[in-house]
Amino acid sequence: SGELYCSLPNPRNVRFESINMRNVLHWSAPEGTGDGVLYKVKYTVYGVGKWIRKPECRNINRTWCDLSNETSDYEEQYYASVKAFLNGTCSDWMETTRFNPLTDTKIDPPMVSVSSTDKSISIILTAPEKWKRSPEEESISLLQVYPGIRYNLSVLNKKTKKRWFFSISNNSLVVPWLEPGTAYCVSAQIHVTTPLLDSGFSKEHCITTLKDK
Amino acid sequence: GACRVSMSMTEIRAGFTAIKANIQSRDPIRTLSILSHPHSLHKVKSSDRCCITHLLFTFYVDKVFKHCRTEDSFVNRKISSIANSFLSVRRKLGQCREQNNCVCGEESTEKFKQILANYEGLNVTSAAMKSLGELDILLDWMEKSR
Repeated sequence: SGELYCSLPNPRNVRFESINMRNVLHWSAPEGTGDGVLYKVKYTVYGVGKWIRKPECRNINRTWCDLSNETSDYEEQYYASVKAFLNGTCSDWMETTRFNPLTDTKIDPPMVSVSSTDKSISIILTAPEKWKRSPEEESISLLQVYPGIRYNLSVLNKKTKKRWFFSISNNSLVVPWLEPGTAYCVSAQIHVTTPLLDSGFSKEHCITTLKDK
Repeated sequence: GACRVSMSMTEIRAGFTAIKANIQSRDPIRTLSILSHPHSLHKVKSSDRCCITHLLFTFYVDKVFKHCRTEDSFVNRKISSIANSFLSVRRKLGQCREQNNCVCGEESTEKFKQILANYEGLNVTSAAMKSLGELDILLDWMEKSR
């Protein structure tokens, strides 16, 4: 498209939103432009000389673009940029801040599986996987990316409302000396000490201990 | 023997995270990196890691922190706190080198030469601010290779 003098207001709040290293560029439409605005996207590896256009995000009208594939090497850092077009005019290129996939991603809570005997419950936690291009691709657990992962666990006695907290580094825990025939609810969070990253707590998984034999 | 140095990585990380956006916004150059291009720290052999770490801590103490004063007192306080942590780690690494537990091979010397060349390719303030903005590259590499 012929680019005239760029007088269109700029896209706003251009930033990466990343969960488990699925890195998606988001932005808000230029102020006061209504429908019909189209966008194009480019990105660059920090320290390398060239900006690369993202063909799948050329002349799009949505305000996001998945750059997970292009930013999957978490030993690198990145910038991305967006330009808006409307009725033959355009905006400036608007950039993100420097994006470090390792420190700037959010981590999902761990998967929690629980089993019980009459007086104990066993908890097994599974850390989420790093985003991958396709289901066939080899899975990489975030455990491999963040060796310092720990788990914070909350165990609630539904009857007495008493709650215990545990912080463990391996992915399983047996909670002994519980009351038979009682419901307990477990919730877990991932805690990475450095870089400092905490997931939210998982939803509660409840289980009832077996009745007394 | 091995060179074991304790350092408050969490504290340094927290200090850097607090000023990262501010410092990196002062570095407009996207096409040049001091630490990560053309050769990535992640390609350094394990035998050279101690030496590269010592050289880099010396680099930050001698060539970076002192050229990074800003008009923002909060940022300046964070920088000096990080600098103090680096000073103490550099001293410990120096002791390792004196005891020959932190030998410099050809690769680390070459790698560090490249870093200095990148640094000297810019004026001092720009080079120092860019280097400070890349502290997470150093910290990421150190944690990964722990």
